[in-house]
Amino acid sequence: MDEPTTAIVIFFAAIFTNNMLLASFLGMCSFVACSVLISTALGLGTAVTLVLACTTAINYGIYHLILKADAVWLATDLGFLKFIVFIAVIAAFVQFVEMFVERFSPKLYFALGIFLPLITVNCAILGASLLLVINEYNLPQSVGFGFGAGIGWTLAIVLMAGLRQKMRYSDIPEPFKGVPIALMVTGVLAMAFIGFAGMVSI
Amino acid sequence: MKFVYRIFEKVRPTFEEGGKLSLIHPLYEAIENFFFAPAAVSIGAPYGRDPLDVKRYMTAVIIGLLPCVLAAFYFYGLRFLPMIIVSYGAGFVVELLFAIVRKEKIAEGFLVTGLIFPLVLPPTIPLWMLAVGVMFGVCIGKELFGGTGRNIFNPAIVGRVFLALAYPSQMSGEVWVKPGHGILGRVLDYVTIKTPTGPDEGVMATVVKFFSVNADGVRSFFTVEHIEAITSATPLGLAKKGEFIDVMRLAIGEVTGSIGETSGLMVLCGGIFLLITRVANWRTVVSILLSAFIMAFALHQSNPEKFASPTWHMFAGGLLFGAFFMATDPVSSPNTNGGKYVYGILIGAVAMLIRNFGAYTEGVMFSILLGNIFAPVIDEIFFSIRIRRLKNEE
Repeated sequence: MDEPTTAIVIFFAAIFTNNMLLASFLGMCSFVACSVLISTALGLGTAVTLVLACTTAINYGIYHLILKADAVWLATDLGFLKFIVFIAVIAAFVQFVEMFVERFSPKLYFALGIFLPLITVNCAILGASLLLVINEYNLPQSVGFGFGAGIGWTLAIVLMAGLRQKMRYSDIPEPFKGVPIALMVTGVLAMAFIGFAGMVSI
Repeated sequence: MKFVYRIFEKVRPTFEEGGKLSLIHPLYEAIENFFFAPAAVSIGAPYGRDPLDVKRYMTAVIIGLLPCVLAAFYFYGLRFLPMIIVSYGAGFVVELLFAIVRKEKIAEGFLVTGLIFPLVLPPTIPLWMLAVGVMFGVCIGKELFGGTGRNIFNPAIVGRVFLALAYPSQMSGEVWVKPGHGILGRVLDYVTIKTPTGPDEGVMATVVKFFSVNADGVRSFFTVEHIEAITSATPLGLAKKGEFIDVMRLAIGEVTGSIGETSGLMVLCGGIFLLITRVANWRTVVSILLSAFIMAFALHQSNPEKFASPTWHMFAGGLLFGAFFMATDPVSSPNTNGGKYVYGILIGAVAMLIRNFGAYTEGVMFSILLGNIFAPVIDEIFFSIRIRRLKNEE
């Protein structure tokens, strides 16, 4: 077996080739809802990146110390609990981020509205935690993956917001306005990102 | 011309409000505008007077494309003719439907898309696939956003990428016909490909075959060749294996590749015409070519065995064609001058990355689509810098 992929390779793969949003279509709901303005998109993206990077690390620790079959602290196999435990960790962390944003950037807090607490159920974040269990990453790999996935998600939502700002000058047919055209543009984005295939892979 | 004008005068009422055929008024208008300048003039100020309207603009691009079209006929033969017809036909149907439903005019922008699109495809692409691609490109890439001038992607690129991803076996592999050479090239050949489902060429091939059968044994006026023995890998495909074709051959274009992009010199002829007429923005073109050149140079220096030389990369594949004709699309590229440089650098660099490291042999189309996607964000950054600078000056 060849060398395990390094954290830095995983980081870049999570941004470009295995972009959470454009390759796996995770985290679509807030992607579509919060991609109207670049500034809002960037704010949400930053929050998601922070949450992703931290929760992957925390969840990695919890999984390997407690939940896993041959865990360090607890010998019982509690792997089946991982969904509920991961979500609880994410929820707690998001609460923390929410308080933080409210205190330091009230403007962003109101711009994000309900979507800030909803990061909790952003499937990209739970997805990242579950993927690192499936892919059997070690700690640096997990953090690299979480951080890269966050940056990739941010990149996608900011690009989308830019396109949607430009689309204000477009004349979109009535039935396609709003979400439908956003989903179609997402499809084109995903097509473009396929071009990176093969450069880095995980 | 008076005679033609009289015909238009005569049939006009049929297509106007209340006339029998008012439903297809856009079609009438498009044909009339093709012959004469639009009769409607804007009333009252403000208006600028500039001979360079959308129609002239598109005409300039078509003139710029002519060398490539000639090269396509020379190297790959008569099959390019039905390709153009199908491309224009299928795209026009989409344009017409949208124009009828939305009660708008047919814009001239399509004349360019319809000609660029077949130029960037393999010479053996099945015609129905070409139709699907151009319809996808025009519909998803342009019309859904409101038509010419309002699109956020280059429609030809969207169609090309869609085909490359949806039909990989017809878009790469054993599809690259060896180009013609000599005085006549393949001008009199009609090269088709055998598909598992039988000949797909339909009427055109039947007509051509009819001629060739009549010629009775002698090398006929038209020949229909079948593909098996006459394909070979593209220069870019060979480069992945470490073989580099001579740069001069690449520049002249006697290599396999997409039908209109093989000849670097012909693309340059048309491209320089566009630069002189200022239809294509030199900032975009120069920054794409320069960034690709520098990147290729750096890679070539690090490992000349594995990475081709920068001049090779300049003439290989669709880099020149993309840089001159596709990335310069004024609507889907950034509006700020600084943004155009960044856009160009991004396209050139990504194209080189995909060519040298990616799974795809050619990265120009992906990189231009990515450039289109990044364009609004690049613009936004330049706007905010400018606004900040203005605020500081106060």
